[in-house]
Amino acid sequence: MGSVQAETYGVMIRLVILFFLVCCFTMATILDAQFSRLRAKTDTSEGMLTAIMGDSRRMFANHFFAEADAYFHSGFYPTIFDRQGNREGSHLTEEAHEHESGHDDHHEETFLGPPRDWIERFGRHFIPNVHTHLSNGNEGEILPWLRISAMLDPKRVDTYITASYWLRTSLQKPDEAEKFLREGLRANPDSYAILLELGRVYFYSKNDPRVARNIFALARDKWLKQEANGEKPEAADYEEILGELVRVDRQQGDLKAVLADLEQLVKVSHSPDTLQAEIREVQQKLAAPK
Amino acid sequence: MNNIFAVAGLVIKELYRRKDFYVLFVLTALITLLLGSVNFFNDDRIIRYLKDVCLLLIWISTLVIAVTTTARQIPAERESRTIFPLLAKPMGRGELIVGKFLGCWAACGTALIVFYFFFGIISASKEHTISFAPYIQAIWLHWMCLGIVIAMVLLGSIVFAAPSSNATICLIVIVGIMFAGGHLNGIATGMRGFGGGVVYALYYVIPHLEWYDVRDLVVHNWGSIDWLICGGATIYAVAYVGFLLGVTWAVFKRKPMAS
Repeated sequence: MGSVQAETYGVMIRLVILFFLVCCFTMATILDAQFSRLRAKTDTSEGMLTAIMGDSRRMFANHFFAEADAYFHSGFYPTIFDRQGNREGSHLTEEAHEHESGHDDHHEETFLGPPRDWIERFGRHFIPNVHTHLSNGNEGEILPWLRISAMLDPKRVDTYITASYWLRTSLQKPDEAEKFLREGLRANPDSYAILLELGRVYFYSKNDPRVARNIFALARDKWLKQEANGEKPEAADYEEILGELVRVDRQQGDLKAVLADLEQLVKVSHSPDTLQAEIREVQQKLAAPK
Repeated sequence: MNNIFAVAGLVIKELYRRKDFYVLFVLTALITLLLGSVNFFNDDRIIRYLKDVCLLLIWISTLVIAVTTTARQIPAERESRTIFPLLAKPMGRGELIVGKFLGCWAACGTALIVFYFFFGIISASKEHTISFAPYIQAIWLHWMCLGIVIAMVLLGSIVFAAPSSNATICLIVIVGIMFAGGHLNGIATGMRGFGGGVVYALYYVIPHLEWYDVRDLVVHNWGSIDWLICGGATIYAVAYVGFLLGVTWAVFKRKPMAS
């Protein structure tokens, strides 16, 4: 009797093992497809970061962008306690935009007011307390933070533009700037701002006005498409794109294209009078006998 | 005095027998070297981020070493009952406290020298230059800061029941002071009324540990601080250490040993 029972148990155990084996096989066929889908999503660094950090990565991306700005000022930067309404934008981005558009009105007031007491006065000896900007090729010190910021939030267009500006101007690395901008373009295919900066890399640093013009024209088309879709793109950017187109066409000596660009530009420009004079001058040149 | 140095010597021996320092140093070195090997836009002149991260790790490591080493000193002596033969030497409770303080402070100083030596090598290898004055000032001020921290934790080890709770509370207080201590006056001004007054009083009472954190000056090559200012900060630290050790002694004197 005992031996029969033992035999039955042995068969049952074998059946259970077989059952689990079948279960494992079935589960594997179901889960493999699920995991492949998940792997495809998390294979890129962006996908991995999204899976780990979720939307908080954008907050960190902003923090690292601010860190780059702090480095640009060699540590002379407000903390969250100083920032109450004193500083809106980043000097790093402002600097890039101001240089491109020609204005450079630096305001020298700082976030540090007069010290309130002896502790604050004494404490200021231990922190950077003079407003300076990086120069002489030291601007590269901001780049690691911009790279990390872009890694955390690839949709943050300002990061690519700012890094590219410093790479192509002070650091004389147009190839690196282009590579980074193309990375940005892959993440933001509709960004006219990245295209504008890419065009500048080709025009000012690589001396290739033909390619630059095509890129500026593409940037203009993207801007117009976004406006047509009611996405309200920045009007100032459109002005900048048209301005660059005028410069490229002028350099290439294509007066007809210059005239067409100027006629577009005059509609959105802040100083239409100067442009009207320029338009008349181009028209006269075109009308003059060859 | 001999008693004090004997106790201090024991604490120093304890630090190099334990693995805390070695683990933290290896971690700091490993993370720094790994970060140093990262290539950003093919620019090998970029160094400040590396100095920044390395100094941050040094600060974290030394604070952890100082707090954990100090927090267990007196409770461990009481738990293992070795405090009785120690106090029977004869040695006063004040001597025991000063000995423990000096031991922890000297041990942290030794750890600091090793950490900053590594930092100096990393920095000089990338920048190809090193200015000694800012580094010496950074080490000195860092050590002074650790002195206040150690005195604070020593007081905590008398007041709080367990070393773990003491270490946690002290770390929170230290990080809080370093983060917001210098801005309490601004917060108080914004608050007004009684609450504002309390915050302003707190601002004057707390030791301003944030002064001793000169990482930004070192990272961004701002040069050295006026030596007189460093001297002032040293006097401030010594005063706080004296005050905290005095309070520790006063509390310890009334504490029954048997419990």
